[in-house]
Order: sequence, then structure tokens, then C-alpha cells
Amino acid sequence: MIQGDNSVVGISAAPDLDAQLMLRVKEGDDESFRLLLEKYRNPVIHFAYRMVQDRAISEELAQEVFLRVYRSRQTYEPTARFTTWLFRIATHLALNWLRDGRKERGQQRLDDDRDGEMPAREVADRLPSMEQRMVYQVRLQEVRDAIALLPDKQRAAVLMHKYEEMEYAQIASVLECSESAVKSLLFRAYESLRARLAHMVTGVER
Amino acid sequence: MNCPFRSEDASSDFSLLLDYTAGRLDSQRTAMLDRHMDNCADCAALRVEQAAVWDTLDAWEPMPASIDFNRRLWQRIGAMESAPWYERLAESMRMAHWKPAFTLAGATLIIAAGFMLDHPGGRVPVTGGSSTAGVSVTEAEQVEQTLEDLQLLHQFDSATADVSNVSKQM
Repeated sequence: MIQGDNSVVGISAAPDLDAQLMLRVKEGDDESFRLLLEKYRNPVIHFAYRMVQDRAISEELAQEVFLRVYRSRQTYEPTARFTTWLFRIATHLALNWLRDGRKERGQQRLDDDRDGEMPAREVADRLPSMEQRMVYQVRLQEVRDAIALLPDKQRAAVLMHKYEEMEYAQIASVLECSESAVKSLLFRAYESLRARLAHMVTGVER
Repeated sequence: MNCPFRSEDASSDFSLLLDYTAGRLDSQRTAMLDRHMDNCADCAALRVEQAAVWDTLDAWEPMPASIDFNRRLWQRIGAMESAPWYERLAESMRMAHWKPAFTLAGATLIIAAGFMLDHPGGRVPVTGGSSTAGVSVTEAEQVEQTLEDLQLLHQFDSATADVSNVSKQM
């Protein structure tokens, strides 16, 4: 049996300079807040977008995240990594939005909103032909659908693991559950994704 | 051979495979899994599938933030900072997860209102024991009123006595 994973090399293993910046914000240094905003604006928006799949809502959620960070500056204590705290706020807001609005909205927005991805011009720059562009759009839609079909917590876990490259312990801290629960969430989520995206995967022989 | 990824705790072992596929393991563990992959067709296939899923997920690139994102945020921060103290207090209470407290307070009020409607006049029913045990709110108010009346009478008596003394002296 292969045991343990404490030798995992993660990008978040670096010293938490962000927490130090946040402590400066606590002392009234708005410039440090600007630095944090520049660094984490896109990751937070992208995380929120992938959670709710609506550009306007994801920006609104991201605004609320940073507003809460700023508002909480005076009581901030670096008891956890800054990113853990930041993504805990983002995750709670996104999960609450999904929970509160799902009954009313259904999946309407997921089907309607198509403005959150790369603009067509950028796609065209990378893909030389119309056919490849269409393939890209179909592929993208399938990825979106596969992610959207995951239960909310599984989706949050996958997004933090895949796109934010967070460690299991950090994801557990964000989701306020155990590390083994996170591993279980990821196991089931990737299992579902492999099944749903299997037809897009070429050259795999089982 | 016995595959470690086919154990009861598959999710725990799968996480190691995930880290391996993502290149997040140290060289020693990577080499160990490399050797395992050479001998386990199932794990090798799973590794390829997982890598392909990640490649597929990489295709999803959201757009960057709106140009005026920061401006809007600082506007909201400015508005928040200049808001009256009671609004800021209300907001921090909202942020501090006071919802359960409000719910509890609301439930208490409803129960209290229901209790009062059920027992109009403030009388508490006595289900046994002597009748004097059930002193009602009305009775307490009557006692208070009587004490006030007595105090007034006492003041009136004193004032009358003062007036008679003055008359006698004149």
C-alpha cells in the first residue's frame, strides 16, 4: 500500500506573503490591498465564473469577496493562509448563490450565458480554421456541462484542485471538512468527469 | 499483482495518482509510480484518462475581469466607508453570521406572542396547589397602585398638618 502524500510539491507551499500584506492592510495600508486585488482578482472571478457559469454574477460575487476582505481588515488574524480565507469567502458566496437561486432560475442562465469565455477573435487567432473553431466551441460546451452537472461541493473541490492547484489540506480548510472527505469528493468528481468526457478523450485504450 | 489503487480506500490512493499525473510528487515517489505504471495496465490507463480530462479542462479559459472592476470596487468601498455607523454595524452583524440569532429571536417572539394570545389578561393558569400561588400581573399592578395611593395620602396628611401648624402660629 502506498501511504501518505506529505511530500506533494504544491505552489502554495511558499511562505504566506499575502498574509503579511493583509496585516499591512489592517494597519491602514491601502496599497497592500491593491496588490492583493491585482494578484487575486482574476483567480477569484474565474473561480466564481466556473462555479456559477454567469459572467455578471461571477463579477458581482468577486466584488463582494473583496469588499468583505476589506471590511474585515481590522479583525483579520493570519490563523490560516490568506488564500484559504479568500477562497473560503468566495466558496461560501458561490455556494449560497447557487443554493438560493437554483429553484428560481433553474438552469436557464447556464444555457443562456455564453459571454464568459475567450472572445471569438482570440479563439480564431489560435485555431486556424472555422472547423477547428467549431470543434473548440463544442468541446468547451461539453466541459462546461460536465462541470455544471457536478454537485456543488464536488465542483468547488475540483476547481480549487485543478485550477488553483491547492493542496488537499487547504481545500479541506476552505470547505470546512476533513482531508479524507476532500479526497473522496475529488475521487467521485473526477470519476464523473472521466465518464462524461470519455468520448472527447482520444487515443486511450483500456 | 496487487494494485495499491484497487484498495478499499480508493479515494485516498487515487489522490496519489492525481498528484502523480499532475507532476506534483517528488522525484522519489514519481519514480516509484513510474515503475508501478510499467506493471499495472489499469493504473496506466487511468493515468492517461485523467491526464486527458485535465487537458480538456484546460480548454476552459474564462475572460479576464471587466476593465472597470477595480473602479467599481473602490466606489463601493468608498460608499461603505462613508456610510453612517449604524449601517456599518448592521452590515458587520450581517457578515458575522447573525442570521441564526435573528431566527432564534423571531421564534422566541412568536412563541411569546402565542403564549400571550393563549392566556389573555396575563393570568397564568394554576394547575394545582393553593390559589394564592398564581399571582397575576393584574394583581401585582393593583398592589403597586395601592402603595402609590397610600404614599399620596401620607403626603396629603403631612401637607395638611403643616398648614394647621402655620394657622396656629398665626
